[in-house]
Amino acid sequence: MTAASVTTRASALSRWSWLGRPRMAGSPAVLPAVLGLPVLLWQAVFFAAPLVFLVVVTFWQVKAFRLEPAFVLDNWSRILFSATFQRALVHTFAVAGTTTVLAVALAFPAAYTIAFRLSPRMRDLVVAFLVVPVFSSYMLRIYAWQIVLSPEGMINALLGLTGVGPLPLLGGAFSLQVGLLTLTLPIAVLILVFAMAGIDRTLIEAAENLGCRRARVIMHVIAPSVRPAIMLSATTSFLLAFGDYVSPLFMTGSKPPTLSILIVDTVKSGSQWPRASVIGVAMLVMLALVLGIGQWLSSGRTARRGAAR
Amino acid sequence: MNRPLATRLSRLAQYGFLGALFLFIATPMLVIVVFSFDANRFPTIPWGGFSLEWHRAILDDPMIRDAFVNSVLVGLGTAIASTVLGFAAAYIDFRYRFQLKLPFVLLVAVPPAVPATILGMAMLAFLSRLGLFGRLETIMACHVAIATSFSMAIIRLRLNDLSRDLEPAAWNLGASPAAALIHVVLPFCKPALIASFFLSAAVSFDEFLIAWFVGGVHETLPVRILNLLQGQVNPKINAVGTVVLVVSVALVLLAQRFTGVRAGRRNPTS
Repeated sequence: MTAASVTTRASALSRWSWLGRPRMAGSPAVLPAVLGLPVLLWQAVFFAAPLVFLVVVTFWQVKAFRLEPAFVLDNWSRILFSATFQRALVHTFAVAGTTTVLAVALAFPAAYTIAFRLSPRMRDLVVAFLVVPVFSSYMLRIYAWQIVLSPEGMINALLGLTGVGPLPLLGGAFSLQVGLLTLTLPIAVLILVFAMAGIDRTLIEAAENLGCRRARVIMHVIAPSVRPAIMLSATTSFLLAFGDYVSPLFMTGSKPPTLSILIVDTVKSGSQWPRASVIGVAMLVMLALVLGIGQWLSSGRTARRGAAR
Repeated sequence: MNRPLATRLSRLAQYGFLGALFLFIATPMLVIVVFSFDANRFPTIPWGGFSLEWHRAILDDPMIRDAFVNSVLVGLGTAIASTVLGFAAAYIDFRYRFQLKLPFVLLVAVPPAVPATILGMAMLAFLSRLGLFGRLETIMACHVAIATSFSMAIIRLRLNDLSRDLEPAAWNLGASPAAALIHVVLPFCKPALIASFFLSAAVSFDEFLIAWFVGGVHETLPVRILNLLQGQVNPKINAVGTVVLVVSVALVLLAQRFTGVRAGRRNPTS
């Protein structure tokens, strides 16, 4: 097909359309369909259908190690009322909540320094540096922390030189948070940096000209303008920490288990697919709730502030 | 008034804090690389001297070699497919208005937000019913379902800078919508397409839970590492880790090289 033929066909079409468009009715829809259908099909088969099937499987039964279609609520009641699940649920919420608070509390001052104290060139470099860990080698970095924190590891070897006995750094809440912050901090900082870099500088100058100290500027100008970003970095941190499998596995040896660990264990031991699916669906429902609350908090607050003005 | 001193101290504290944070982020990566050249079996201080022993050992390990080849194949396939699909999704979002557009965009955008444990289990349960369990193509297909989200985001961001009038101008000059897409929109998106290629390759190269669930006997490199990690301390891990680290960091840096995303672009001063 030559460019010329495309052109003549197109000009013919446009002339037609000028005359009351008898053929244009069908043709504009062809291109979006050709572009859109493959995407739609791919995401439907490899993303949506598996999740829908996951919900369906929660009502199925395992008979003689084979998964059989059924409609029983037994899986739900067994999982939701089991002490193991409830303990794991509380533990996972506590852990992810702690990570969220720590991530935002550590990310905010760092993002402030990056956005307001560094030159634009440095800021670009720092952003580039922060993007790398978001997309690379999370599992390896957790393994590296294992090396660093283990009883014979780097930190304890260094401490040993000063005479301080080996500290039990690995295998507790501390190492778990180290692992989860490795996952969440870079992205939490990035979200806040992008939001703060977008603040209108004249607002800050105005506050300063009116005699505001730095702390007041941060509290009353910067924090309110980046509130949606704070909520976004909080919910992102929570999402990542809540569903993470690697840190609980390698930093605490799965004890106590989080919900992700429980899923993998339930699948591994005796192909209890329906029960593992119940845990998975329950996690997704809770995540959706948390994200919804986050959304509501960031939009609700802004609306109220807007109304008060 | 010693305001300047207080300001200086505050600046010092800020830079110090930022430095500590970067140390926290960089330490694990440095540890992997440094100890892969360590002659000791167990990585600790003091360093056992420089050695390429473990790097040589991974070259002789057929399972690691196979896993590397698998990872490269899956990564390449993912990069191509998700860039194509991501472009299509981004263009549709940019150009057309239709009912159910939000669900369409969400269907592409949401997958990375679903915990990989749950998604991997769901994909395994569903795809094994279709007889797709334990194939490299299945790992790739599942990685594409996740990576397309990032591709769409990068390309959509680029399309924001495309003048809304450029395509209508091409149409007025007689180009068909498809011709305008190929000769006007695609060239404009080229840097974003390249960035999307590298980033989705990085996403695939780094993903291990879904690959572990749906791959069966076919191990990608991160899955091989996961299995090595669950065994006893193995000094090969640091060497494989260095390879994975170098590849994925290189892919992300290449992706960044081609995106124009900079913090603070929206400032009136710049």
